[in-house]
Order: sequence, then C-alpha cells, then structure tokens
Amino acid sequence: MSAEAAVELARTTRAGVGYWVASLRSMLRFDLARARQWAAMMLIIQILMGVGMALIYGFFYPRVSHQTALLITTGTPTLALIPLGFVMVPASVGQQKLEGTFDFTWSLPVPRSAQAVSTFLLFTVLSLPGAVLALVVSAWHYGVTLSVSPQLLPALVLSAVMAVSVGFGMALIIANPLLTNLITNALMFVVLLFTPIVFPASHLPEWLFAVDRALPFYNMAEVIRAGLTTGLVTDLASAYLILSGWTVAGWAMTAWVVGRRR
Amino acid sequence: MAAKPDMTAIAAPQPVATLRRGVPYWLESYWALTRWHLAGLRMWVMLLVVIQIMAGAGFVLGIGLFFAHIPPVAALYVCTGVPVINLIMIGMILGPQLVAQQKLQQSYDFVRSMPVPQTAAALAWYTVCLLAGLPAVVVSLLIAEARYGIALTVSPAIVPAVLLTAFTGTMIGYGLGHAVPNPMVTQLVTQLLVFAIFGFTPILFPAWQLPHWLATLNWWFPFEHMAVIVRAGLTAGLVTGIASSYLIVAVWAVIGSAAATWALGRRG
Repeated sequence: MSAEAAVELARTTRAGVGYWVASLRSMLRFDLARARQWAAMMLIIQILMGVGMALIYGFFYPRVSHQTALLITTGTPTLALIPLGFVMVPASVGQQKLEGTFDFTWSLPVPRSAQAVSTFLLFTVLSLPGAVLALVVSAWHYGVTLSVSPQLLPALVLSAVMAVSVGFGMALIIANPLLTNLITNALMFVVLLFTPIVFPASHLPEWLFAVDRALPFYNMAEVIRAGLTTGLVTDLASAYLILSGWTVAGWAMTAWVVGRRR
Repeated sequence: MAAKPDMTAIAAPQPVATLRRGVPYWLESYWALTRWHLAGLRMWVMLLVVIQIMAGAGFVLGIGLFFAHIPPVAALYVCTGVPVINLIMIGMILGPQLVAQQKLQQSYDFVRSMPVPQTAAALAWYTVCLLAGLPAVVVSLLIAEARYGIALTVSPAIVPAVLLTAFTGTMIGYGLGHAVPNPMVTQLVTQLLVFAIFGFTPILFPAWQLPHWLATLNWWFPFEHMAVIVRAGLTAGLVTGIASSYLIVAVWAVIGSAAATWALGRRG
C-alpha cells in the first residue's frame, strides 16, 4: 500500500529542446492572452507619440524645407519605436514587479529563457504596426515621397528587437521600478532633444555626435532611413553592428538577472 | 479654573476660546501651511528645482540643434518661452500629481481636515510653487542669454507677468487635482497636458508656425497668452495684444480657482 500511495513523480523530463519549444509556445499563449488587455491601448499611445513628435518637430521650423520634411518623416518610425522599447517595456515590467505578477511568472515550471524570448517576440511583433502606421501618417502630412527598399524590413525588425531587449534588460537589472521610471523618462527627454533623429548630425558638436554614434538611437534612425531613402545614409555597416551590439547587451543583462537564483 | 476641580467641570467639553477667522488668523494659517508644505516636501522641492533647471537648460540648448544656424527670432522665442514652461510645470503638472498621490496614500482627507481657511491653503500652495519654479526661470534665462547671445530687455512688467502666470498655472492645477476624483485619471490628464503644452501650444515658437485651426484654438487657452505676457516683460517690440493676453490669463485663473473652490466646498 505505502509504495502505491507515494506521490508519483512527473514522468516528463523538464529539459531538452522539445521541452523548451513547448514552453515557449505556452508562454507565448500566456503572454498574448494577457496582452489583449493593453495591446490596443499601447498601439494608440505609440502612434500618438510617433505622429505627435513628428508634427511637433515641424512646428519649431519657420519654414519646413523638403530636406527637413524628409528627415522628420524618415525619423518617425524611430520616434515610435523608442518610447515602446525604452519606456513602455520597462514600465510594464515595473508594474508586474509591483503587482507581484513578475514573481508568479518566474515561478512557472518553464525555462526562464523561454519566458524572456516570449516577451521579446511579443513586444517586437506588437511594436511594428505602430511604427509603420506612424510613418504612413507622417509621410502623408509632410507630403513626402519615399523610396521603400526591402532592407526596411531587417532595419525595422532589428531596431524593434534592440529597443525591446535593452528596455527589458534595463528593467530587470535595475531592481527599483521607480528608479527605472525616472531613468527612462530622463532618457526620453535627452534622446528627443540631443539625438540627430529628425535633424542632420552636422548640427551637433563633434563630441556629442561621437556619443550618439555609440548609443543605439541615432543608429536606429540611420538604418531605418536607409530603407526609406536612397543616397542619404552612408556607413550602414557600423550602424547595424552597433545595433546588434546593443541587442546582445540587452540579452546579456537579461540572462545575467534571469540566471541568478534569489 | 477652580483650585479643586470637581468631576462635572472636567467632563464638560471646553469650547475653543480663539476665533477662527479674521486677518491675523488667516495670515497665521497661511504661514503655517506654507511652512508645512516646505517642510513636508523639502526633499521633493529640492529635487524638483534641480530637475526643472536641468529640463530648462535641456530645452534651451537642445532646440538650437534643430537648426544649422538658429534664426534670431526662433532663438528669442525659445529663450523667453522656456521660463514659461518652467513656471507652468510645477503648479499645473506636479501640483495635481501631488494631490493624486495624497489621495492614493490616504493623507488627503487628513490635510483637508486641518482648520485652515481654504484661501490661505491655496495661497500657501501657490507660494510654494512659485518658490520652486523661480530658480529654474532665472537659470534658463541666463543659459539662453549665454548660448544665443541675446540681449534681453527686462522691464518691470516681468513681475506681474511671472506672478500671474504662476498663479494661473497653479490654480488650474489645483482645481484639476481637487476636482478629478480618480488619481489615475489625474496622472493621465497631466501627462497628456505636458505633451500638449510642450508641443502644440505656441510657447516656444510663434503661433503662425502652427496650422491655422490649431492657432485659433490656442487663442482660447491660457498658455500662449502666458508666453505673451512673460515675453513682453523680457523683450521690447516683439509682442502685441498684451492687455487681452492679461485678461485671458486672469480669466483662466478665475476658472481654476472656481473649480478648486467648488471641489473643496463639496462635502464628501
């Protein structure tokens, strides 16, 4: 009797590629179901931010020349992706931490790497429609004709993955959600004013441009602009390289926090 | 009091002997509440002043990068507009957020229960906002002068302009904070307001750079007019229609105060 009454151990192995893929699929379903509550709202905020910023930049110029209009329009997808990755993703993690959902999710019998990948996939996919819509509205407003090339797709995807990864990594590595909130807001302010996303880099002092070249934001704008115009952007290889570097850094931050035991 | 108190005398509640009205009581309440706010927010106020100074400097320096060579008029608008943003931000944005926070922490009812005339409370809050806003105004102006080499002609008109602008901003914020019951709504509204004030009102740039309908709409709101009256105190010959601007800003001060009075007069 006593042998039969003993709790039966789970027969499935919780390891291996098959288990990881199955976990990823469950996590995606779980995350998607949760996203239904806020995905529409996020899309709206993202479009408003992207389009709003594109309009606001235009107001500052007494006369919007064709060159200015082209720069603002091609900067719009970047303006729509940055708040999503660097503000909304950290804010969502912060809220989950405050509510305790974060610890609950971590306690699920799923590899945490699968959880992170699921989050990255979800936010990347969700961020793209907003970026494209903001671009369309901006191009219509400024009456700019764009020459869209196939390299727009990898540019947008890499930019989105990078923004989500760094935003998520940052939210994990900084323990206090309030501090994360402060940092992301300050970051937005500095980026919108001091990064050449919608104005030529030649306006910046050299040292500031050097800083911007190392940070991801200017490079996002460059690779996306290269997919929308011809002959405006040079030195694409280094921009892609730096963006990839930041993506890996975001993953490394995530892996470091996720891999620790508390 | 009798030397040997009997039971009944002790049990009877003693009415308060001081009168809770009159000018001295009002002044005393005003002073007490100003000190209360400054003491309670001392860390916050310092942090706010620093953030405001950094934000003001950021605007002044950052907007110059939009242009290869910034036109003098654009520079003048930015220099004289940033102090207005500084003045509006504290009273109009942080005021309501503070009230929202008090509501979430449930200290709101306690603060309201204090035996202080409402006007004294409102003016104490205005004083705090003004004190917290002024350093950033001065620093922004100094940085703007240094960066763009603009000679400002400061006239005495700057004093009423700054006082009224801060008052109207604070009163709108005060009304908003007290009249909107849900703190989350307050947060959302103030965040939208920041975005709208910064980008869609002609404070940092002339009104004619906006689409016509938006410029018309802005005429009904106080923000453009706040910029006009402050600009009139800092420059010579740049702005016109100062009297009507003063009037509109004053009307909005009344609207904000009325909303606050209504919200505070309600019995919950």
